[in-house]
Amino acid sequence: MGKLNMAISVENLTFSYGKNTVLQNAYAEIESGKLTVILGKNGSGKSTLLRIIAGLLPYQHGKIAVSGKELNTMNLSQRSKLFGFLGQKHKAIFPFTVEQVVLTGRAGQVSFTPKKTDMERAANAIEKVNISHLRGRIYTELSGGEQQLVMIARVLAQEPKILLLDEPTTHLDFCNQAKLLSLIKELTTQSLTVVAVLHDPNIAFLYGDDFLFVKDGAIEHPAVHTKPWSADYLKSVYDYELLSIPYAERALIVPETKHS
Amino acid sequence: MVLLCLFPIPVLLVSCFIGPSELASSKSIFEYFRHLLFNTDAENATNLLTVQSILIDVRLPRIILAFLVGGALSVSGSSLQAIFRNPLVSPYILGLSSGAAFGAALALAWAFLPVQLSAFIFGLVAVALSYVAAIKHKNLSIVSLILSGVIVTGIFTALLTVVQYLSDPFKLQSIVHWTMGNLHNASWKLLNASYIPILLGVIVLYLMRWRLNVLALGDEEARTSGVNPVREKIIVLIAATLASSAAVSVAGIIGLYGLIVPHMVRMMIGPDNRQGTIINFLFGGTFLLIIDDFSRTIAGFEIPIGVITMLIGAPFFLYLMKKTNIGWEN
Repeated sequence: MGKLNMAISVENLTFSYGKNTVLQNAYAEIESGKLTVILGKNGSGKSTLLRIIAGLLPYQHGKIAVSGKELNTMNLSQRSKLFGFLGQKHKAIFPFTVEQVVLTGRAGQVSFTPKKTDMERAANAIEKVNISHLRGRIYTELSGGEQQLVMIARVLAQEPKILLLDEPTTHLDFCNQAKLLSLIKELTTQSLTVVAVLHDPNIAFLYGDDFLFVKDGAIEHPAVHTKPWSADYLKSVYDYELLSIPYAERALIVPETKHS
Repeated sequence: MVLLCLFPIPVLLVSCFIGPSELASSKSIFEYFRHLLFNTDAENATNLLTVQSILIDVRLPRIILAFLVGGALSVSGSSLQAIFRNPLVSPYILGLSSGAAFGAALALAWAFLPVQLSAFIFGLVAVALSYVAAIKHKNLSIVSLILSGVIVTGIFTALLTVVQYLSDPFKLQSIVHWTMGNLHNASWKLLNASYIPILLGVIVLYLMRWRLNVLALGDEEARTSGVNPVREKIIVLIAATLASSAAVSVAGIIGLYGLIVPHMVRMMIGPDNRQGTIINFLFGGTFLLIIDDFSRTIAGFEIPIGVITMLIGAPFFLYLMKKTNIGWEN
């Protein structure tokens, strides 16, 4: 039964930028229909892992399979039906409207110009993210939070099975982070698999279902009885003194300060 | 939108009446049309023949050529701006203009090839050089492409100076004249030599019109939604180069045009290339025709059209930039 729920399996993955090895013989399994959060220090390779899965970085050694199918054997269009990817802060140049931006998510399935069904799918995606009121607005004139929602709608218009999000909350304020994560959480209940790289362990533990830690070139999946929100465990990941304050069956994490 | 699409028709018609010839006055042209349409008895048959020859052999090819050249430069400019994700890009960015100018100068000085053919070939060579120099590990970086364009432009400008230095004053004059950009050589022969590459390039860009929106969002966004950005950019690059080098080869260097018109179109209808591509072609063609009409009539002699586009275009552009939101401030 266990294997059937597996969305992505990473086996023996090694990746390096030139001589700098980022991932070495890494293994990971990501379950479908869940929000899996990837955590780790800056430069640990968590974004690299996500970008390899998204097909943005080619891997030479190892295997990445989605429901048993090796990624390297798929073309871009096949991949785009499987994966939607949202990178860190997107910089737009031209003043496209929200609708026009979202519609480009259909590119992999469109030969020359989008058809009526593509427009409908884009409209659905806009509705799913609750930004129908922004449809005709100029993307470049929106706030950071609104832009991020538009980019999520764009990825949803693509209708992927798996959503890959690289630090989706980085440029958002406190409340917009919460809004975005509730939305993402909502999407996983509609049988979408979400893999997100996050900086903030608090956001991760509040919303995440499963956790992967990237450390020293390896991907660590805490054993069933290990609590990843325990101070000891996180200390081993971040190399920093942390306090773990029990909250809602999990914990809130604060850095240890001199006066605490 | 519809108005913009219909805009070329009256301008094309009016342009038939414009020109320096005394014989082909408006009155005699009306008479000629009446004769054509209603087969009336001509009062002065020889005069009508002259009018016919001015219209058919001189003005018509020039009108069509001006339209095609303007359209080609505008569509190429807007497409390249989209794939480079930079609104300051023009069809000349990859050394096309300096390559073509060198080719033309070489042919004018030593006449080993027809001027237009030589300009066309060297324009393509310059773009190909910039392109090959920019490719690294099968990757096409926009920054290195712009840089190699600057270098290639520099090389061909230097070579052009050498040719100018070595040629006699009479040839030098025609070289300088060519580089200023003008349409006064327009003929059916020139039109026949250029319309195929221009239309071919424009048609490909028209087919790619929505793809340009996707590419304008960025490489990562394109790739992860299932589009190979490198392959599609090369297609756009080849099509835009084909159309604009054919335009440059017959009309010389018409400065700023391929940079400004895409902005004017974007200000009128927004950045969506689905409409933008066709409007750029129609509006770009019509607008150059209007400028050419002025260049033929404004002074007793003909002002090179490239000079006018520069002189009118630059302040107009600055005015629009101040007045409206172009959308790339941030």
